Amino acid sequence: MTPAYLLRRLGAIVVVLVIVSLTVFGITMVLPGNAAVMILGEWATPEQLAALEERLGLDRPVWAQYFDWVGGILAGDWGTSLRLQLPVAQVVGDAIANSALLAVTALVAVTLVAIPLGMLAAIRRGTGADLGIGLVAYVGTAMPEFVTATLLLVFLAGPSVALFPAGGFVAPGESVAGFLAHVALPAGTLALVMTAHIARQVRSEMTDVLGSDYVRAARLKGLREWTVIRRHALPNSLAPAVAVISLDVGYLLGGIIVVEEIFAWPGLGRLLIYALENRDLPVIQAITLVLALVYALSNLLSDLVIAALDPRVRYA
Amino acid sequence: MAAPPVLEVAGYTLDYSTPAGPVTALADVGLAVARGETLGLVGESGSGKTSLAWAVLRYLPANAVERGGSIRLSGEELRTRTAAEILEIRGRRIAMVFQDPSTSLNPTIRLGDQLAEVLVRHRGLAPAEARGQGEALLARTGIARPAEMMRRFPHEASGGEKQRVVIATAFACNPELILFDEPTTALDILTARQILDLFARLREETGVAALYISHDLGLVSRIADRVAVINGGRIVEEGPVAGIFRAPRRDYTRALIAAVPRPDVRLAAPPPDPGAAALLALEGVSVRYGGAAFLSRLFGARPAVVQGAREVSLQVRPGELLGVVGESGSGKSTLARVVAGLQEFEGRVGFRDRGYAGRRAFDRPYRRAVQIVFQHPDGSLNPRQRVRDILSRPLKLYGLVPRARLAGRIAELLAAVRLPAEFAGRFPHQLSGGEKQRVAIARAFAAEPDLVICDEVTSSLDVSVQAQVARLLVELQARTGTACLFITHDLNLVRQLAHRIAVMHRGELVDLFDTAEAETDARHPYTRALLAAVPVPPAAAADPAPLTGEPP
Amino acid sequence: MRELLRHPPGIAGAVLLALVAVAVLLGPWLAPYDPQAFHPAARLQGPSAAYWLGTDQFGRDLFSRLMHGARATILFGLGATLIGVAAGALIGVTAGVTGGWVDSLIMRILDGLLAVPDLLFALLIVTVLGGGVQQAMLAVAVAFTPGMARIARAAVLSIRTREYVLAAIARGESAAWIIGREVLPNAVGPIIVEATIRVAFAIMIGATLGFLGLGAQPPSTEWGLMVAEARQFMFRNPFVVAVPGVAIAIAAMGFNLFGDALRDILDPRRRR
Repeated sequence: MTPAYLLRRLGAIVVVLVIVSLTVFGITMVLPGNAAVMILGEWATPEQLAALEERLGLDRPVWAQYFDWVGGILAGDWGTSLRLQLPVAQVVGDAIANSALLAVTALVAVTLVAIPLGMLAAIRRGTGADLGIGLVAYVGTAMPEFVTATLLLVFLAGPSVALFPAGGFVAPGESVAGFLAHVALPAGTLALVMTAHIARQVRSEMTDVLGSDYVRAARLKGLREWTVIRRHALPNSLAPAVAVISLDVGYLLGGIIVVEEIFAWPGLGRLLIYALENRDLPVIQAITLVLALVYALSNLLSDLVIAALDPRVRYA
Repeated sequence: MAAPPVLEVAGYTLDYSTPAGPVTALADVGLAVARGETLGLVGESGSGKTSLAWAVLRYLPANAVERGGSIRLSGEELRTRTAAEILEIRGRRIAMVFQDPSTSLNPTIRLGDQLAEVLVRHRGLAPAEARGQGEALLARTGIARPAEMMRRFPHEASGGEKQRVVIATAFACNPELILFDEPTTALDILTARQILDLFARLREETGVAALYISHDLGLVSRIADRVAVINGGRIVEEGPVAGIFRAPRRDYTRALIAAVPRPDVRLAAPPPDPGAAALLALEGVSVRYGGAAFLSRLFGARPAVVQGAREVSLQVRPGELLGVVGESGSGKSTLARVVAGLQEFEGRVGFRDRGYAGRRAFDRPYRRAVQIVFQHPDGSLNPRQRVRDILSRPLKLYGLVPRARLAGRIAELLAAVRLPAEFAGRFPHQLSGGEKQRVAIARAFAAEPDLVICDEVTSSLDVSVQAQVARLLVELQARTGTACLFITHDLNLVRQLAHRIAVMHRGELVDLFDTAEAETDARHPYTRALLAAVPVPPAAAADPAPLTGEPP
Repeated sequence: MRELLRHPPGIAGAVLLALVAVAVLLGPWLAPYDPQAFHPAARLQGPSAAYWLGTDQFGRDLFSRLMHGARATILFGLGATLIGVAAGALIGVTAGVTGGWVDSLIMRILDGLLAVPDLLFALLIVTVLGGGVQQAMLAVAVAFTPGMARIARAAVLSIRTREYVLAAIARGESAAWIIGREVLPNAVGPIIVEATIRVAFAIMIGATLGFLGLGAQPPSTEWGLMVAEARQFMFRNPFVVAVPGVAIAIAAMGFNLFGDALRDILDPRRRR
């Protein structure tokens, strides 16, 4: 791992963000009804519109608007939400914190559950445990988040059961118990889908490792099976598991949109749906960029973790 | 009463149950290895030789069914041992050395820890103590700086160093028996020789009994006391090395011995006219690999340039077979790719009276006249095309045969490589490795070329098939007058086939000589080292077979 | 095909897909009631002899609605995947075959687009195009294109270095022959496998868009929309959400299992 490598990776992330920003800017540009119409409503006079367009810079060439926008973001000015009339940085900032709480809870749950399950399935290959985990994994990957969420609500939050609140948010600073109660179902929904996917991947990686020549060599040295698994198989299947988890951050970021909407969780996803419904362009642009940045950074982070786990990986 | 043999297998029969019914892997196998003795177990792929190793180590797959017989270690029956008892035996009383050290060592664990863990397990040493002992064991295997090697990861060591670590691990607990499963097959010629010498020395020092499994009868004859030949799960013949070679009793053994390439049995086509003008002339051909892509360069990746070939000049005469030998990474395959027009190069390739200064300069007539056959028969035929389509392609591409004659020509080509005509309708996956390689050869000769490049064409085939393919190639060459650039790492084979031999080392051509002058003093020291490293089958010295072809 | 029947998950996938196919092809004829017909006397009922899977808040028969909605749901997935795969394969094969700076450029752009989650991508496009089935289908197809392009490119690259392709290059074959006859026929396998599994995702994303009100619009009986419309009443009759939800899962699982089985069969390493 050299500084030059890190620099190069960060450079690649910048390229990704430029492409995402161009894409999202292009998409928002062709959205029907521009910002001035959004703000003033359909009944504004042409004079009012023209004045506001000039103030917002909407009469300038497209590329100039793009560079203004990017320049503003780099300078920390993310614009003003058209609908909420608040600085985008503030609106999105609060939502990021809330979404991060949800996403991290889900990721921790997945890591603690999916990796051991996948490994168990691989070690006990062909047994009832393996088949059971495989079946659950297949069902889990075939359920869209909104179905899982709805079914969890029906069975765990219905008026007759009421184990968990049906939605809402309590900050962990206010009440840890309240936070946990509220986060359980949304995080559980996200975790279920990812667990299914990751457990399957880990099982397949671990199966390959258990069938490898070096695991056979370790067994033929007379090492006890537990030593073989702990020393020889586990470390080598962790690196691929980390890679899969980082890929699943992509699913997670998509899933968060639906899950936050269903459970009324005040995060990026809910804000995005609100912004899409109201064509609040600065907010849409900001959220898309943030999600892309998070995804790119999580990929970089996972590569760093993999390099730490596997001595063969030496980035230069 | 004499001590029982260290390993004694008697009447042992093993089946694998498959959906298609039981398949017999070993049938009534009996053999014994005494203390200090090495038994070579020789067989081709699928002969059951590896199944026997797994049976001895009690490491059988779930679908294995033992039908009877006994496996005794120093008189104790292993088949009735519990799993826990077997764990105490593995690594301590029976150890194993594997074929490929780069896959049998765990890539994420330091070499020292992989060696020390057997001592911790079986000798009950503390880890620090075990590492100390490990250093001593490594030193014994001839590793110069054992303390440093202990700290390395597998990818930081060479193939030979890794195999020394594996061997040190096998000898760590002074086992009674060591199983060697082709321990030199994955290594280069010179390294393989060093590993064999190490094996011989350690066996002397420890008096261990060894079962040495190999497909290479020539190699086994050099290191084993006795040889058992296994075919179709049965031991077909067993006896002292010299006896087996001098007076084989079974046809299968005889065929196996005949298939061992021997420099004194010449198979080469008639020699080319020494006065003829060169067909192919490489002049100062160099190849550089690497160089980062544009965008990676933009982000500061330093281009890693590897020299594939450096200023190579050589000539091939019409009808000549020029052997090109070298270890892996020597640049011999790079040369093949250059001549086949698959690799960009600097310098000049002359062919007949024309010169080509780059890959893109090769024109249609050149590409017809120069054909290539690759190493892997599995990879060189398109799995979605029938043999008929594969063979008809060069005929159509170069317009060699009118459409009406196509089927007839394909039948001729198949006959020329000794395949039945009905193979035309088959897909590659319906053929064996040797059959596929024959189709690949037929495809090359279909173009009626002047030069055929053979890139390790025999190295992924079984011994007996290797010999057939080599003979076929020479026969076709003699019949059509085609020249051949024969790239191989098998020195004995190339000395059988080639008129002249070029030796490559780290991208450079270090030696080029007539095959008859292989053992003269004029040879480059590297050539001499290579020749010295290759085992020569004993019968060649003791009982020279009648010479065929031209005198060496 | 015969191999598929010896592969247990493959059989399960084939059975599930057969169920789905029956619903798609014969759904409207199998439905006992008009999917829009109100039965005020029988609202929010559980399964019974009259209403096999129960009724919704208007007393509409859930089984009939399910059967009618199969087409909207499944054909959406198939259509979106088909467009996405075609576009992605075209881009990926072009990149893989051309190589050089064209490949680098395409790959950088794909990397950028892949950094946007599929669902977010589809949402953005639907917002531009407006809600509706065709718009949503196009949105999912566009969102799939970068991923498919990557897979098609990888398939082409792995085949480009096979020795039979090298042999064709050495023979002096034209680029068109090498791509059309040597590379593509062998790259199709992995692309088909990926496409099959993608149909499951497309069905799920399509249903999600319907659920969010951005895909199929009432009075469609698209399954995601069915869940959305009935959500208020789910505590009174769980079947109103469970029936369409499970139907989506069955369809998606069928394509997943079938795709995995195809991969196992086409993968030469797993072949005996």
